[in-house]
Amino acid sequence: MRPSAPLAALLSAAAALLPAAHANAADSDEANTRASYRFSEYDEDALHGTVVGDPRRYRVLSQQLAVDTKLDGGAWGLKLDATHEVMSGSSPWFVAPDAQQHPVQVLSGATIRDHRSALSVALTQGPGTSANTTYTASYSKERDYRATAIGVERSQPLDAATTLGYGGSFSHDLIEPTDAALYNRITHATKNTASTFASLAWVLDRDSVLQAGVQVNLGHGYLTDPYKLFSYGADIVAERRPDRRVEAAGLVRYRRSYAQIDAALHLDYRYAQDSWGLTSHTIEASWYQGLGHGWRLIPTLRWYSQSAARFYAPFLAAPAGQRYYSSDYRLGTFGAFSTSINIRKAIGRWEFSLGAERYHSAKGLALDSGAAVPALVDSTRVWAGLDFGID
Amino acid sequence: MDLHRYAFSSMGCPCEIQLETDFESGASAAAAKAQAEVARLDEKYSHYRSGNWLACLCASAGSGRAVELDEEATNLVDFAAALHAQSAGRFDITAGALTKLWDLQSGRVPAQAQIDEALARTGWHRVEWRRPYLTLPIAGMHIDFGGVVKEYAADRAAEICRQNGVAHGVVDLGGDLAVIGAHADGSAWLAGIKAPRSPEKVYASIELDRGGLATSGDYERVMIVDGKRYSHIVDPLRGRPVESFASVSVLADSCLVAGAASTLAMLLGVERGAEYLRELDLPWLALDADGRARGNIESAT
Repeated sequence: MRPSAPLAALLSAAAALLPAAHANAADSDEANTRASYRFSEYDEDALHGTVVGDPRRYRVLSQQLAVDTKLDGGAWGLKLDATHEVMSGSSPWFVAPDAQQHPVQVLSGATIRDHRSALSVALTQGPGTSANTTYTASYSKERDYRATAIGVERSQPLDAATTLGYGGSFSHDLIEPTDAALYNRITHATKNTASTFASLAWVLDRDSVLQAGVQVNLGHGYLTDPYKLFSYGADIVAERRPDRRVEAAGLVRYRRSYAQIDAALHLDYRYAQDSWGLTSHTIEASWYQGLGHGWRLIPTLRWYSQSAARFYAPFLAAPAGQRYYSSDYRLGTFGAFSTSINIRKAIGRWEFSLGAERYHSAKGLALDSGAAVPALVDSTRVWAGLDFGID
Repeated sequence: MDLHRYAFSSMGCPCEIQLETDFESGASAAAAKAQAEVARLDEKYSHYRSGNWLACLCASAGSGRAVELDEEATNLVDFAAALHAQSAGRFDITAGALTKLWDLQSGRVPAQAQIDEALARTGWHRVEWRRPYLTLPIAGMHIDFGGVVKEYAADRAAEICRQNGVAHGVVDLGGDLAVIGAHADGSAWLAGIKAPRSPEKVYASIELDRGGLATSGDYERVMIVDGKRYSHIVDPLRGRPVESFASVSVLADSCLVAGAASTLAMLLGVERGAEYLRELDLPWLALDADGRARGNIESAT
């Protein structure tokens, strides 16, 4: 039987306080320690079109274990995150022109097999309050790559409806390519990245929040991919990129809840531009829909468009003394569209989640037109996770 | 299964948790946790205490400062705001100054000037509420969660018993009931509603096997001056206790909703209150001042 209109209004107003709603809230809020485990598999489709080499592309199996706990009676929050990934497959190596000067992607002959282990720590002072500070540190290690990063961020209310956020981070990466002597690669290189951001969040009304922010990233050091080659006239040479990159980005986030139907809308837009001439737009929309009995369904759509870096070219048939050149598809003009669906089910203190994402990239999805990008990726990612309160 | 009863006093009234279980140790642990939760809510939201969370909130009145509320208080204030809208301003958590003025222990009817002064410090429409930030603009404004917190506490206590493995039982906070679960044999609990003019007598028995039952009336807390009865429920628009039902009981899926419905009916007065209860379409039973019964609940006895 449907409740009468005034009763429906009463029930809706009481929903956040009622036991059914509270059972879940209490479990997620009151557990002092929560742990989560997530497994994901990322598979790139085999390349279509003209390729040379093994067309089986990248595959990444990833496992993540996270623990989130409160210390000192809730004054501090500690989050530990350990990730282990196994990567395999071949990756784009360089692009060569065929007889008609059409680009042909050459893939690395040998199948790469590597694994990455990462550990990160975040310590938050005043978790769950609007004025809080988070200190982060992380370390990540692969056979040929090590990254160490530290950061701090602060959130601070300015008045009843406005919150300021700001922070910065620094990362130092060490690159030691494999088979350096065999392929005449650089044996040892480093790069440093410094980032800073500031944002303002406004509570628009009881159901919606708008956030706007800016971010600046400065990269310095060896920003070239040591494994990528380039068809430079008659020669195949190592690609070359500038040793500095400045990126500025602006983002807008909108969150609106529809409590009466137990749903929420998340809308994000990001614009970025860098000193390599690359610009990008990202639009993402997610809908969080509660289905009752602890079920939650989250479909997401994302569109991405970028214009190429100034020194991107599939190959240079008649080079004219260019200093920088790369045929890395990630620096070319392309657009991508991805759709994902995530379903979650809460049972007492446990929450299970399953998700799948399909990613499609194509030149035609970009706002701009540009040089050919033969190695664009389509991929599928699936993941499963569980999350549980310990005490 | 045995019935275990845990009586205590909280929120200014006698309380009791009745649990039906084979395991007494589990039952007493669950009852202790539930009782602790009731005590926590009493401590946090009671407007009879000084130095508690509510007192700190009220102390910010007139300072121009917004106070950030935690999730629970935010949800309670949201609920109260919805009740304010639904009752055309008669349910008002800012009526604390009036409640304090009509202190039923004093035995005195306040002067009109005092009522006017308290009315000037009352009014949800004067408050700035941008969840979770609450700004009380006038010094001396008092928030009073009466009509919400006791009922919410009953639901919480019942939920805590369920979370601690108790499937059959009932929580009674001064006549506001929240069912943990029906009797082990599936039968309903029987709640006796006290007769308004002679509280030692039960005038009706109501069966409930789930949800909550709340009763508002002018007998639990009442002052009689010169033969006139003054209820503890004050109309924030007029600044005087309501002249309404002697007693209103409502059954709902939660004690919180039942309590909101019975309190709103009291505040709206006999005719409009009865109309509101019929519109809500919840089971209800009321006695007007002349002792005439209304409503759609058949007394079980």
